[in-house]
Amino acid sequence: MSGFRLKLRKGVGTGVSSGKTVTFTFDGKSYQGLEGDTLASALIANGVSVVARSFKYHRPRGVFSAGSEEPSALVTLHEGAEREPNIRATEVPIREGLVARSQNAWPSAKFDLAAINQLGGKALSAGFYYKTFIGPRLSGHRATAFWYACEQVIRRAAGLGAGAKERDPSRYGRMNAFCDVLVVGSGAAGLAAAHRAAKQGARVILADEAAQTGGALLNAPDFIDDLPAAQWATQIADELVGMENVTVLPRTTVQSMFDDGTYLAIERVEEAADRNPHAPRLRAWTIIAKSTVIATGALERPIVFAGNDRPGVMLADAARRYAMQYGAAPGKAVAVFTNNDTGWLAARDMARCGVIVTAIVDVRTDVADDIRKAGEESRAQLLTGSAVLRAKGRSTITAIEVADYNEISGAAGDNRRTIACDCLAVSGGWSPTFHLTSQQGGKPVWDAELQAFLPGEPTSSWHGAGAMSGAFGLGAALRTGAKAADAALADAGLPVKDTTKLPDVEGDEVDHAPAPVFEIKASGVGKAFVDLQHDVTADDVRLAHREGYVSVEHLKRYTTLGMATDQGKTSNVTGLAIMADTRDMAIPDVGTTRFRPPYTPTAIGALAGELYGHLKSERQTPMHDWHLANRAGMVANGPWLRPESYNAPGETVEQAYIRETKAVRKSVGLVDVSTLGKIDVQGPDAAEFLNRIYSNGFAKLPVGKARYGLMLREDGFLFDDGTTWRLDEHRFLVTTTTAGAGKVMEHLEYHAEIVWPDLKVALASVSDEWAGTAVAGPNARKLLEACVTACDMGNDAFPFMGVREGKIASIDVLIARLSFSGELAYEVYCGAHHGQAVWDALMAAGKPFHVVPYGLEALSTLRIEKGHVAGPELNGRTTAHDLGLGGMVSTKKPFVGSVLATREALHEAGRFQLVAIKSADGQRIVGGSHLVKGSKEETGPSMGHTTSTCFSPELNCYISLAMLEDGRTRHGERMFATNPVRDRHVAVEVVSPHMVDPDGGRMHV
Amino acid sequence: MSETRRVSPLAAILKPGTHGHLVHGPAVHLSTRLCRSLVQVQSWPDTNAKVQNLLAAHIGTPLSKDHQAVVTKGGSHIIPTGPGRYWIESDQPGLDTTLRGQITSDMGAVTGLTHSRVVVTVKGEKAAWLLATGIGIDFAEHAFPAGSVRLTHHHEIGLTINRVDAQTFELYAFTSYARGLWHWLTEAASEVGYEVAAAS
Repeated sequence: MSGFRLKLRKGVGTGVSSGKTVTFTFDGKSYQGLEGDTLASALIANGVSVVARSFKYHRPRGVFSAGSEEPSALVTLHEGAEREPNIRATEVPIREGLVARSQNAWPSAKFDLAAINQLGGKALSAGFYYKTFIGPRLSGHRATAFWYACEQVIRRAAGLGAGAKERDPSRYGRMNAFCDVLVVGSGAAGLAAAHRAAKQGARVILADEAAQTGGALLNAPDFIDDLPAAQWATQIADELVGMENVTVLPRTTVQSMFDDGTYLAIERVEEAADRNPHAPRLRAWTIIAKSTVIATGALERPIVFAGNDRPGVMLADAARRYAMQYGAAPGKAVAVFTNNDTGWLAARDMARCGVIVTAIVDVRTDVADDIRKAGEESRAQLLTGSAVLRAKGRSTITAIEVADYNEISGAAGDNRRTIACDCLAVSGGWSPTFHLTSQQGGKPVWDAELQAFLPGEPTSSWHGAGAMSGAFGLGAALRTGAKAADAALADAGLPVKDTTKLPDVEGDEVDHAPAPVFEIKASGVGKAFVDLQHDVTADDVRLAHREGYVSVEHLKRYTTLGMATDQGKTSNVTGLAIMADTRDMAIPDVGTTRFRPPYTPTAIGALAGELYGHLKSERQTPMHDWHLANRAGMVANGPWLRPESYNAPGETVEQAYIRETKAVRKSVGLVDVSTLGKIDVQGPDAAEFLNRIYSNGFAKLPVGKARYGLMLREDGFLFDDGTTWRLDEHRFLVTTTTAGAGKVMEHLEYHAEIVWPDLKVALASVSDEWAGTAVAGPNARKLLEACVTACDMGNDAFPFMGVREGKIASIDVLIARLSFSGELAYEVYCGAHHGQAVWDALMAAGKPFHVVPYGLEALSTLRIEKGHVAGPELNGRTTAHDLGLGGMVSTKKPFVGSVLATREALHEAGRFQLVAIKSADGQRIVGGSHLVKGSKEETGPSMGHTTSTCFSPELNCYISLAMLEDGRTRHGERMFATNPVRDRHVAVEVVSPHMVDPDGGRMHV
Repeated sequence: MSETRRVSPLAAILKPGTHGHLVHGPAVHLSTRLCRSLVQVQSWPDTNAKVQNLLAAHIGTPLSKDHQAVVTKGGSHIIPTGPGRYWIESDQPGLDTTLRGQITSDMGAVTGLTHSRVVVTVKGEKAAWLLATGIGIDFAEHAFPAGSVRLTHHHEIGLTINRVDAQTFELYAFTSYARGLWHWLTEAASEVGYEVAAAS
């Protein structure tokens, strides 16, 4: 292929008419294109024929299409962290400084050492992976290791481009949109539908993957209402853009159709000519449409013949489009190979642009007079009843071999002759683009005349129009577009007024029905590709059949036909046709596979970047900034960020939490507990409600007292725990674990509203209303006495589990005497907007006692030493009995989970029970270790596992809570905590989980 | 609750002034405030009318006929947030204590939410557009008329939105998520240019 830039004039280069030059680089070489060019058109205009290497054989590949169906011209854009592989050159608008590279080749696409794979021949055919990677197992050898090594090499040689390893610096946006009618596709049918629906007052969204609305009209030689088709399209689009009830979205691919009229579309914001530097790179649209018109047109398909993948072979309509829209001649001498009328018109239109068309080869003998006349206008050699047997050449085609051809028998004659050309434009018919409807389970229907599948009956509120629905031709597109709009308006409950006159059309009358020819069989002359992107040949399809993969689903997976990033847009029907031929069946009887979303590949960032990347939904406590200013390392705990530990300069996290733990045990510490879930429960039946929710009794909890409670699931397993404070007769404050707040709220709401609607109980989340600080340590009372007013902190006046009101720095506070640490401790709650002020006052009051702030690690260490359970033990698989909390499960009242908690299986011998283990040899016990009896080499079966692990300053060794089979009967036993992944095998002693102050004396002083 | 030293989580990160793409001037204006009082009142099915009358008397104007619309008088709003459930925002501090004295537990439940929310006002020609970039509800005026409220979420965290007029929305954001919400609003608004008012 030796493409070049045509002389721009009226009708030639309509999309690059500004003539403004743009400089870009491809494989390190600088080129100039024109404003409006795609990377593909600019490369063609610069005579670049090889733009990529193929997936498996590393064969040279050029531009094959002009749209999103492109299987071959995949490139890597940009450099560094912004590098993005596998981008279709046919969709990339060039802009100044664009950097693009070929991929899957070394050292270059033009000369690729891995092209040696082409010598692999049949060894690399379908099923190569399945047959190769089984690997021999020889006695005494681990032979598969050798094959794994081979796999690494082969994986490097195969595959597509490589992504960046750096963090993606781009911003990705989102948009939620609602409309009466969504129109997908802005060709003749889409514009007609959008215009009609909009005129009747509907809220319309019109989306098209192309940068310019108009679809095929932009290159059509026809007239609509006496205007050139492109001009008519521009006029209608401009009118739509100006309407308040219409949103026009160019560069926006509707990728997926979901239930109930929900669509995902990706807008390529960065490609806008007047790009706003503050705009996101891509924007993911969630569109909720009452009804949809799908006018996505049809994709031209190739014909399979030997060498049909050589650079220079491309789809006929693409070749035509490069000439007309981009003013880029796809070659100096272009031949056309077709089985339908549109190939002839492509030849004529290219010739009108100044492209030299050397031959039109048509498998049909019977060609309509007006079509033949169009061919004659191109001044090409007309060869009907003929076929291209193969394309000759290596890095670009140099000639085609042509012979007589019988379209009925598929037999080629012996009169082979060669026609010189550097581009072959191929048209094998058209396949309607019904990917969206297929995603929703729409069953395609075969149209024997069009030799194509049609979308079939709608499964939801969508209506096909134009070529997508099998209505080919301009008049049919406009007619079906308007009809679909009316149907969509009716779906949306809007009145349909028949006031719009259909425009007059003047142009080609084309029969889109092709001859049923999908492959030209001419054995022994080279590979004939069905799926160019995955290097699947016609012989691969036949091989799959011979090896028993006759189901279309098996065919797809065995050969990988249609499984690449293009999802077989240009290969699916051809593959089915070859399989049907092999099985001697009709094409529809072979079956079809379902298209999967998205329609085209898109960056993961567009789908999830905002939520998981630059805008993570983190919750911060009122003291967040203080924590950061005081050297806290923050960690996620549920949706919250919490201090892990406050690290002095040079101090590790472990050193920090040991220091903090010691300080709490010795004097006093503060920890931010604002993250605990807090639920306000009120009403005349609030006590009864909680009594039914908790496994232990709450009906008689006195006002001004708190109680630790357990919640069970219906199945009897533990659900969550926390303390509940009775603030007055009918008002309670329920606290939950940090991570469990949301699920507990749902649990309570479900039972209040669905299970016991007769109870008068009101629930409100007040997690954010209160900032909380736990004050723990032997000097906790003294600290509070130094700053709390209006509250007697004495042991008698404020006993263990008491709840009192008071003031700190004139700020109202609620104080509960609770202990998670096992020390004398209080939780101080205040309004969240006062959180920092109260924290500051507590820190100031604690100064004489050398108060320290402590983080999650120290908090965890304190409770592990004490044997208090938390999330790792309340993991959904444990019961109260397992954790030694069986005494808190009432046998005198019904509660959620009470029935199934008595199941025999939950009490049988051998269940995991909570224990603690101490390192017997001083080694660190790592999380996720299993408890075993055997040696490191032969561990024997796992009898349990660790749950919460730390170094205990109190016991001066590593300890862990653990779940162990019949654990409560095994205190004193010696075992090993083994973790093969981390290469640890630690001798441990099983002990009671209550390792510090087992009688609770410290909490009650 | 005390009225001293209340600190908004946004106070430390507000950057008053104009930002972003300002070719056509700021299309969105952002401001924030803390409620003096924000209280939730939940009536029981058989006491709803009684609670409504009490709230109407409290604010000094009747509730809307369908009990769906926001009622505003002076510095107070009554915001319906569910069946028999209302938020009352008031300039009067300590409103929860006041209402708890009037609404006994056999009439309903009174919960103080003053510290639980930060109010962010989003105003301007692109206000609805901005909110649509992150919130999955229909902001068209016929679907979300002025004077009505929507309970929704942003990134899975609850959010209550009061549409004051066609171009003004008040977002009642959880205090702990106010910064996350603000981060999103300012980042998304940079595309159309925005102005941040100094803290009130």
